[in-house]
Amino acid sequence: MKTIVQQIDDIALAHPDWPALTVLADHYTYGELKAASDGIAAALLASALPAGPVLVYCDQSFAAIAAFLGVVKAGRAYIPVDTHSPQDRLLMIEAIAEPAVVLATQPVPVALKTPVKTPGQVAEMMTVPLTVTLPTPAADDNFYIIFTSGTTGQPKGVQISHGNLTSFVAWMASFNLPRQPRMLAQAPFSFDLSVMSLYPTLTAGGCLQILPREATENLKQLFETLPQLPVDVWVSTPSFIDICLLDQTFDAVHYPALKQLFFCGEELTHATAAKLRQRFPKAQVFNTYGPTEATVAVTAIEITDQVLADHDRLPIGYAKPDTTITLVPGSEREADNHQSGELELIGPSVSKGYLNRPEKTAAAFTAGAVRGYKTGDLGYITEDGLIFYQGRTDFQIKLNGYRIELEEVDHYLNQAPMIHQAVAVPKYNAEHKVAQLLAYVVPEAPAESGLALTKAIRVYLQGVMMPYMVPQRFIYRDELPLTQNGKVAVKALIAEVNGQ
Amino acid sequence: MDTKETVLAILNDLTGEDFAANLDENLFESGLLDSMDTVQLLLELQSQLGVDVPVSEFDRSQWDTPAKIIAKASATA
Repeated sequence: MKTIVQQIDDIALAHPDWPALTVLADHYTYGELKAASDGIAAALLASALPAGPVLVYCDQSFAAIAAFLGVVKAGRAYIPVDTHSPQDRLLMIEAIAEPAVVLATQPVPVALKTPVKTPGQVAEMMTVPLTVTLPTPAADDNFYIIFTSGTTGQPKGVQISHGNLTSFVAWMASFNLPRQPRMLAQAPFSFDLSVMSLYPTLTAGGCLQILPREATENLKQLFETLPQLPVDVWVSTPSFIDICLLDQTFDAVHYPALKQLFFCGEELTHATAAKLRQRFPKAQVFNTYGPTEATVAVTAIEITDQVLADHDRLPIGYAKPDTTITLVPGSEREADNHQSGELELIGPSVSKGYLNRPEKTAAAFTAGAVRGYKTGDLGYITEDGLIFYQGRTDFQIKLNGYRIELEEVDHYLNQAPMIHQAVAVPKYNAEHKVAQLLAYVVPEAPAESGLALTKAIRVYLQGVMMPYMVPQRFIYRDELPLTQNGKVAVKALIAEVNGQ
Repeated sequence: MDTKETVLAILNDLTGEDFAANLDENLFESGLLDSMDTVQLLLELQSQLGVDVPVSEFDRSQWDTPAKIIAKASATA
């Protein structure tokens, strides 16, 4: 069985002129990608680096993908950290992961202890000729490590092995993708949704259609760029396509190439799926589900008109063939004529655990002949194996596809010097999705105006946490309701915000 | 409510802030609105005021303060 990287190299050797990726107006071939990643690997192998993974501080660029593949070719795992990450997060990931070196495709904004290869040096590495034999990885060696949000502000590095990724990519290939698919790559590389486009496309000789963040921030620019992309397989969060659906010309007439749409990262609502069936009647719409800990996605279902007719809240699908999904023993409870419980995923795409965090790993993962991961997601499974998601067992939420631990937001809020006490509260829409993250705040000192205080808090938070975690609204109170144990009564506030 | 009050109420609902005294506040630079909020803003303008803005023509720089949004909404409502 060839590794993912060998499969990509084989395409490069047979068809060096095939386009591998486009970033707006720039096009890159498989030959260029192989040469650049070989160069990175050669440079890494030639330098006397200590053991450990390689942190790639990256934008959505050719250099980033070349760096990922080069690191893997050199027998190491890469840690993608997006350039929009705040400095504190970058520093924390560095401290937890102890990387051997940092490859930067954009300038690193903060001093790191680890040696950093600047964008110019990375470009030079790409030109180094490869003269040595590349090491052969073991199936359990790490391929990439993606950091997710963790409670008390400590991110958790999910270790994904060659075997994990091979299982996922083989499953994606079973969806009857177009030959040489042109898949949309919109998610930043530090979000594992990006992996759904990246390796299924490159191992099939397809061409990644990268839509960088700069092109999506301004709607006018987004709708100028989108029609230029010859995408035939769409991959995004439901939230992102909700934006695109606002444009009435986002339909099969104007995007005739679009054949399949894959959604992951958050709940696909009935309304969004129904609109997609209307706009793209001949395309296949797939809802998929999975945590980073089980490599991108482990369930899928095609949302047909029949599925829409049968279910008000859409199922997340069936387990992929090599994976078993069950309810965690002891978590089951009877609700709405279903046996609900915490979903546990058991299969070859389940991670070996969190990097350098044995206690967190032991708490969430089960050892055994095949590893299992307890998701913290509530769900139920029908007799024929169809799985429905019902929410979280804890205070984790999804906002626009991003996973957020409310306790982590609370942790940062309460560290802000202008905040005496605060708690983050999600506001849900009619379709069970988190529409907004609010913060109830008791200020340290009375402020002149709410707006000035909000701006000051925002500036502080943007320096320490991911932009998607910063609450949208700040509501000021003289005190917060408490439970009998003296903790902030979060559930009471959630009920208040959501009018229950 | 007139257009100005309606716009301010929509912005208040999205951001929790009262902009009546801060009509020239830049909503995007200060991070008060992100692209998902923008979508919500457009939907509310459409449903509450009948302002139909094609998203493909939504150039952020022309909608980045409460005053500009009020002017745009008044012109098209």
